[in-house]
Amino acid sequence: MTMDCKSVMEILGAWLDGEIGARESEAIRFHLESCASCRAAKLRLERVEESLSAAVKAQASDVSWPQFWSGVERRIREESERRERLWSWLRPGSYLRRLAWAVPLAVVCLLVILLAEQYFFRWRLGPNLSSVAAVESIDGHGFNLALFGEDETNTTLIWLFLDEEEDEPSAEVPVADTTF
Amino acid sequence: MHEKFKRLGFILPRVANKSVDSSVKKEQKVVVDLSDRELVRKCQAGNLEAFQGLVAKYYQRVLMVVLGIVRDRDDAMEVAQEVFYKAYSRIRHFRGRSTFYTWLYRIAVNQCIDFRRRQKREPAESNEGMDEVPDEHGRNPSDVIESAEFLKRLYAAMESLTPEHKAVIVLRAVEGLSYKEISSILGCSEGTVMSRLHYARKRLQEKLAPYL
Repeated sequence: MTMDCKSVMEILGAWLDGEIGARESEAIRFHLESCASCRAAKLRLERVEESLSAAVKAQASDVSWPQFWSGVERRIREESERRERLWSWLRPGSYLRRLAWAVPLAVVCLLVILLAEQYFFRWRLGPNLSSVAAVESIDGHGFNLALFGEDETNTTLIWLFLDEEEDEPSAEVPVADTTF
Repeated sequence: MHEKFKRLGFILPRVANKSVDSSVKKEQKVVVDLSDRELVRKCQAGNLEAFQGLVAKYYQRVLMVVLGIVRDRDDAMEVAQEVFYKAYSRIRHFRGRSTFYTWLYRIAVNQCIDFRRRQKREPAESNEGMDEVPDEHGRNPSDVIESAEFLKRLYAAMESLTPEHKAVIVLRAVEGLSYKEISSILGCSEGTVMSRLHYARKRLQEKLAPYL
């Protein structure tokens, strides 16, 4: 199997990484022996990667263990303290203690909101009392009176029921005697 | 500190060495993995000292990966420390389906990508940390200047890559991981790793052409 420069350049990196099959690998080795320009390309590739590796390693080795660990430990400690605070806030005992003042506070807040709504804002949170209609009835002697008042439309209806028994002439009324 | 961890049975940070014979490398890896499993198990039971052992073992390797992706040294420190903090808080969810370091690198790469995205949204005031070149004692001054210049160009070329491309090149060139391991860390196929590596290498070569 023979390879040209273009094909070699396509897989030269993978070949250096040892990720190429035995047959292709052998063909590249054979090509490199006879091709100066591909050999130079291989050297360039190696130089870049070796320089990068050396630079990064040198920088990392400058960092001391205590310096590094203190940063990791600080993060772990801070997180653990944060969890501790959260847990103490949620713990049942302290939760009930907090409820002791939280319930009256909630009631007061609710009252304030309702009063504010009634007197200042008219958010209509509660029942709409202005649209409630009322029917009243008055029983009188010989009549019944019913009143219906509705505020929103300013309407008042009055029913007057007369006692039917009173209207009809009584059967027991003495008929005039015409026998004189 | 190192003595303390030796006593506790921890293995100190091991930097991938390409010259090491492959059989020796394999043997080392098995020992490291078994030890990791034991340490992870202890961490899951809430043992902070075991976690300290894991950090001691991997902090330099994680830092190297982070430095390769996040340019500034101080930022890289912050990100790497955040990686270990995240690993600590999530270790209960680690089921051992992958190796511990694969899992750790996955957190590291994701953290770096998030950091770079945040940084893009809020541009930093100064980003010159990586321009500091490593000490080059005992070398010819002209070589030092030349290599310092080359490194500056190399960092600039790296900046032209996306965090995903940087991640593949760092995991391969610095950590020496296989395509399979990289694909497991990045959650993509080996083919994608291969094509990203090819692109990243090509791009770096183009940017550095006058200096090579």
